[in-house]
Amino acid sequence: MIQKKICILGAAGVGKTSLTAQFVYSKFSEKYLSTMGVKIDKKVVTVDDTSVNLMIWDIHGEDKYKKITNSYLRGSAGILTVIDGTRAETIQTAYEILERVHRDIGKIPNIFLLNKHDLSDAWDINEQALAELKKYGNPIYTTSAKTGEHVDSSFQKLTKMLIKP
Amino acid sequence: MTQTDLPLPLYQHIASHTIQQLEPAWLQLEKGSERIIQVGGAWQYYCQQMPQAGQQASDVFDVLIAMLPISESFELPQVQLQDGKYTDIFGLCEPHHDWLLFCDVTQNTLNIQQYHQISNDFILLKAQMKQTLHRYIGHEVSERIAQGEMQLDAAGERKTIATLFVDIRGFTPFNERHDAQMVMQTLNDYMNGMLPAILQHHGMVDKIMGDGVMAVFGVLPSENHCCLDAFHSAKQIIQAIYTLNQHRLSSGLEQLGIGVGIASGEAVLGILGSHERRAFTAIGRHVNLAARLESNARVGEILIDKTVHQTLGQSHAFTAVTLTLKGIGQSDVFSRILPCIHGDD
Ligand SMILES: Nc1nc2c(ncn2[C@@H]2O[C@H](COP(=O)(O)OP(=O)(O)OP(=O)(O)O)[C@@H](O)[C@H]2O)c(=O)[nH]1
Ligand SMILES: [Mg+2]
Repeated sequence: MIQKKICILGAAGVGKTSLTAQFVYSKFSEKYLSTMGVKIDKKVVTVDDTSVNLMIWDIHGEDKYKKITNSYLRGSAGILTVIDGTRAETIQTAYEILERVHRDIGKIPNIFLLNKHDLSDAWDINEQALAELKKYGNPIYTTSAKTGEHVDSSFQKLTKMLIKP
Repeated sequence: MTQTDLPLPLYQHIASHTIQQLEPAWLQLEKGSERIIQVGGAWQYYCQQMPQAGQQASDVFDVLIAMLPISESFELPQVQLQDGKYTDIFGLCEPHHDWLLFCDVTQNTLNIQQYHQISNDFILLKAQMKQTLHRYIGHEVSERIAQGEMQLDAAGERKTIATLFVDIRGFTPFNERHDAQMVMQTLNDYMNGMLPAILQHHGMVDKIMGDGVMAVFGVLPSENHCCLDAFHSAKQIIQAIYTLNQHRLSSGLEQLGIGVGIASGEAVLGILGSHERRAFTAIGRHVNLAARLESNARVGEILIDKTVHQTLGQSHAFTAVTLTLKGIGQSDVFSRILPCIHGDD
């Protein structure tokens, strides 16, 4: 079976671990347990009759004092860059991470996830920010690790991008 | 540091001490491949079954998929191979062989995780608070300005206003006793009790300071005198907290009390920020007095200054008291106590 490694990146608390847990185990917890280092999960994804064993690297959140070690990214075929839709400032972190990924390992397929879409009252992404994000030319999904909105479909989409570039 | 910098016995002491803590385990790989040649060390820390010579390393450890063969040395810090166990994995490129080294860093990582968690909880809490603040000040104000209901002079308008301070008694010790998530939830519940009562009486939330709120009355249009609005708001706040405490009591949760201070006088209203995100700040002598009154108020107590009392008149059952206020001195003020906490009868 084809094996592919993907990394989930983004600022602290945007929902990387929750999205992974929803995708792999169909579980969600309100409790926040911040990730240290990296945790690896796997799931078989089938796109158009091709089965892919997806190795999902759920990496700690990036902040000013703790940058993502670039050896985590080694061998990665694609990435999901997560933004907290209730905190517009996490877009900036996403841009910074993505620029480093491009510099260190090149332009690999990427999808932006605007997460926590269930919290519509607190939604903080305006038209202008969205337009800016679109300029990257990468697919953008609004997701919710809580309700499961677009969680499967975004992982599915990335897998597709990996095997049929 | 090299061996020659340090006398051998000391070097050996440090080395053995460190090695003991790290519980290392290693794999020797065929150069440029991922085939295991030799195995050694404390593998029981890292996997159920000890890897064997002849196996492919990535068949034994998922984490190594797409990482091998080792084209250049690398370090993977804090890999969670099992729940709650952290391992530093090193890939080393040597002339004749490649190596994989596993070191246990669980203890150290768990120590750091505590601080890490607090700081990340705080980031989320701050964002939530900012949103509450924006919802209650920024939005409200910009709406009213947009509708022409309110005019603002950026240079600072002078106006007679009433300023109300309220805060949660005993929140600091509560905070120290409970985890951040619980604290965040509790704070939100109390804020949700207090803020609507301010808005309904045409008050404007000026600041939210941790577990306290400063609100001003007489800035947003109202048919009532600002002191009356502030007083009604205070009564409603305490009523709302009384109800909240009823729920908390029946859910077996700790009840927290609040205290209120209100003073009135002339203030200069300034605008901070610009464009959409205008926010007020009120500057005046009575603002400080209101803050002092609040910090002297007991659970369920509303303390008001003379000016507010004169405006309210005699009909609101306040009692005259003399207090020594920090930085202000002896002051004649007025007190009224309302039920705020339920007894456990
Ligand atoms: N309502 C809602 N909450 C979410 C969602 N995703 C995550 N959360 C909550 O946000 C908090 C952080 O989620 P995590 O998945 O731990 O975030 P993370 O990006 O892995 O955080 P770090 O590992 O610290 O970088 C938790 O309290 C989650 O319950 C979502 O889609 N909706
Ligand atoms: Mg995480």
